[in-house]
Amino acid sequence: MSDEPDGARPTSFAGTIRAVSTAPTPDIVEEIRHAYDRVGITLDRPATYGTYYRLLCAGCGRMLGNVGDKLLPGMASTLVDEQFELYASGLLGCACGHQRVVTTGIDPARAEAARARYADARDPS
Amino acid sequence: MSELDVIRDAEERGRTDLWPFWRRAYADGDPLPTLTCQVSRPRHRFDEGDALPDEYRGLLLKMLRHEGERAGNKSFLGFMATCLDLAEALFPTQEMKLLKAEYLAEELKHAIMFHRVAVGLQHDFALRDVPYAHYAFHLPRETWADDAFFHFLVDLNGAFHARDWRESSYVPLAKMSATVERDELGHSEMGYYFLAHICRERAGKALVQHLLGKWYPAALDMFGRSDSPNAPKFIQWGLKSVDNAEIRQHYKAYVDRKLVALGLEVPDERRHRRFL
Repeated sequence: MSDEPDGARPTSFAGTIRAVSTAPTPDIVEEIRHAYDRVGITLDRPATYGTYYRLLCAGCGRMLGNVGDKLLPGMASTLVDEQFELYASGLLGCACGHQRVVTTGIDPARAEAARARYADARDPS
Repeated sequence: MSELDVIRDAEERGRTDLWPFWRRAYADGDPLPTLTCQVSRPRHRFDEGDALPDEYRGLLLKMLRHEGERAGNKSFLGFMATCLDLAEALFPTQEMKLLKAEYLAEELKHAIMFHRVAVGLQHDFALRDVPYAHYAFHLPRETWADDAFFHFLVDLNGAFHARDWRESSYVPLAKMSATVERDELGHSEMGYYFLAHICRERAGKALVQHLLGKWYPAALDMFGRSDSPNAPKFIQWGLKSVDNAEIRQHYKAYVDRKLVALGLEVPDERRHRRFL
């Protein structure tokens, strides 16, 4: 909590200057939807007053988590992309393995490298 | 038995070895830094029902809008519902699911406390819907580790602000500050407990280290820009003691120490930051 969000000037990854608003943000919602579609996760309908949305596995429909609609421009795609390795290695995503399959289809080399990188962490020894 | 005694009794009956987490946190002394105003300022004191200067009222309402934990704020209740959703879908053990239930109960207690402040300040504010504007409240939570980071870092932000209210010129806030501070610190400790549990396994620790890169910048950003033009006004009116940069530095030192204790690497403090 701070006094900042009204009229603050967040700098997005792209370097644009935008004010944070409390108004509905359909562009951001579409950006979130698109970012998650790429890795096999569906943005469900609003769960609470149009502000928060459930994330569902596109493979089996299981609830995986949630996200709000006040992310800053460019943030959703960056966050999801930075989690690519986690989906590919199975550290994140549905137990059914759908995101693992989808990320492998997007970039097999990156997915394989992620699995190799986290294989050591998965080794119980 | 008074209403407060009934609430206190209900809380007492919820106590376990773990809950409330603030007990252990304060057992060895004050865990939070002292926030002392270093600038000269007039001494103000306003109680419920007093006539408030326009600027003071505006700043106070702005502060309470962002605080958000009001019974009449349906967006706050909606956010609590997302916490329930996560607890139902992702809980790792029954014990942790119950801890989340205790957390929710305590946040609803705060909602009643802040509702009373709102009613005492401005009746139409008490039912105003104010969605959380800061992106930290909207980051995706896709695993119990995300939720643990939310509590460890975001609830801790609330504890630091509540600490600052101890000296608030608005008497109703000063009166409730110690309770809110201690509870929010307990919520942060709950998140830390979850993180420590996850980090026991190597895969969990790898996940936590990766997700820290998402939560750390958001946590530091929550204190706002260091050159905020409003900060000196808040300080002059006695609604805050220190500016955004100073409270952020105190917070960062506290968080970094706890992260290192978990064996985690602290991210670069400028990476992915939006409010410097």
